[in-house]
Amino acid sequence: MHRLVMTIISLAIFLLPLQVSNAAGDAAVGAPDAKPALQAPSLKNDAAVLSKLDKNAKKQITALRWANHIDAVTGLSKLRLVLDVSSPVTVGSSIIGSPVPQLSVDIKGAGPGDIKNTYEFDGRIAESLTVTAAGADTTRLIMQLPLMLDESDYKVFTLRADPANNKPFRVVIDIGQKIPPIKFNFTAGLKDKVIVLDPGHGGSDPGAVGPGKTMEKTITLAVAQRLKPLLEKSGAKVFLTRNDDRDVFGPNASAVDELSARTTVANNNKADIFVSIHINSFTNPIASGIATYYYQKTPYDALLASSIQSSIAPASGLLNRGINAANFYVIKRTVMPAVLTELGFISNPDEEKLMNTADFQQKMAQSIYLGLDKFFNQAARLGGGQ
Amino acid sequence: MAHTRKLLFLALMVLTLLVAACANDKTPDISKLTENTPPSADQQAVNQPPTGQAPMRITVYHATPDAMYLVPEVHSVDKNDHPAKTAVELLLTDPANKQLTRVLPTGTKLKNLTVRDHIAYVDFNDKIIKNNVGGSATEILIVAAVVNTLTEFPDIHKVQILVEGKTVETLSGHMSVGQPLSRSEGIIKKNM
Repeated sequence: MHRLVMTIISLAIFLLPLQVSNAAGDAAVGAPDAKPALQAPSLKNDAAVLSKLDKNAKKQITALRWANHIDAVTGLSKLRLVLDVSSPVTVGSSIIGSPVPQLSVDIKGAGPGDIKNTYEFDGRIAESLTVTAAGADTTRLIMQLPLMLDESDYKVFTLRADPANNKPFRVVIDIGQKIPPIKFNFTAGLKDKVIVLDPGHGGSDPGAVGPGKTMEKTITLAVAQRLKPLLEKSGAKVFLTRNDDRDVFGPNASAVDELSARTTVANNNKADIFVSIHINSFTNPIASGIATYYYQKTPYDALLASSIQSSIAPASGLLNRGINAANFYVIKRTVMPAVLTELGFISNPDEEKLMNTADFQQKMAQSIYLGLDKFFNQAARLGGGQ
Repeated sequence: MAHTRKLLFLALMVLTLLVAACANDKTPDISKLTENTPPSADQQAVNQPPTGQAPMRITVYHATPDAMYLVPEVHSVDKNDHPAKTAVELLLTDPANKQLTRVLPTGTKLKNLTVRDHIAYVDFNDKIIKNNVGGSATEILIVAAVVNTLTEFPDIHKVQILVEGKTVETLSGHMSVGQPLSRSEGIIKKNM
């Protein structure tokens, strides 16, 4: 009788703190950017309670799983490893540079358990992982990496047990994808540069349409056609993905055929730079401003975006929405540094009127031209890699 | 014996508490989750159910009027066995907070939603493309609102957007949505 009663009591003491602490618990693996700091304060309590009651249970890693994640907005990839552990642990990590780049993570308070000794990855973010016991109750993970990491490229943190959602205590390792150090050896100036300009939409696809019926495809073509002679005068070789009001692939082609036809123009012509020109739109007419987007695939994409944005934003006189990483098809599938500019909101009546003027279109062409010139000068100074 | 009775009484008390805690566990996943979302000025509980019914809390994302950010809006609705579908349906209705803008095009309807291997396959009708007002800002907000709303559920790690049952490469010609996408924290407005 005593025994049963005591078991019930200890079980209750064991479970109740978890129930209470869970109210402030984690959003689990569903939220890849969960910050460890949020969990830190009550970590000690859980550990104390569990170590008292759980002395005889084996403290070990019970499972390891991993997945590649692509940020819905920026398109940036990361590898997330999640290890389930039987009881709370603490973690420490360090980067090792030789003989090959490695990330070492020590999990203190749990042995390796029955998980595998080695794991293989696809090599984009990590090559492999080895799991070893490092003394009593500590597990050491060594990840082999294709490229050296900086401190800001990875995060190791713990998530408390979440019994309501059947989640044990977890260790999470997030590793962001490094930009490959591709050498381009850009020279200063626009002379002999191959530049592909992509006037957004066209033909059967008007793009966004303003309250005054202005079509995005008309403005994007007008700016590209004003920009082309400016670049050519400086000695650049310029291709437009379309020279008139047409679909690049063909009328009413699938969206993906249309987009890949545009990236093909840049890739086949071995362009140095790809600039896609667009006009923005939103359901609320107050949205306004000018923005430049890039996809982080070479060490030069963000530089190209900031060179152009810092030139077009002041020239436009519009709200500066800055440069942003974006998971856009045409800047992702072109192999050279690429940007997509959004020259104002067609859904904003004031900006719609403005973008119809020859003055604004010429100003945009002129300032993109100056931004490109600035880019090549800066890229040349940087040399090949960064 | 008196000692045993005292212990038995204590055990019964504890048991009652446990039962209460377990009953609480039967609420859908989302009920725990929304409690963890840090409170903010723009968050508010709406559609309060009549007293006596156990509500579940669902977080959906709507846009700021300048098309820069998403803001979470917490709804309290009657409990059901398909909270993820309910979340998408709330995303397809106008925000309770009039300061916010709904991002999915008018006429967009949820056709189906299944979850396999922690990936939610969310199928919309073709109005999500045909009634799209265009602009990359709009497309970013649509994709992020769908992905962030569904990844509020602990068992959904990624979201694959489908249109009329098929994978599409893009919705309005900018974003690449041909593969399952994970949550984007950067577009959520901070420090409101």
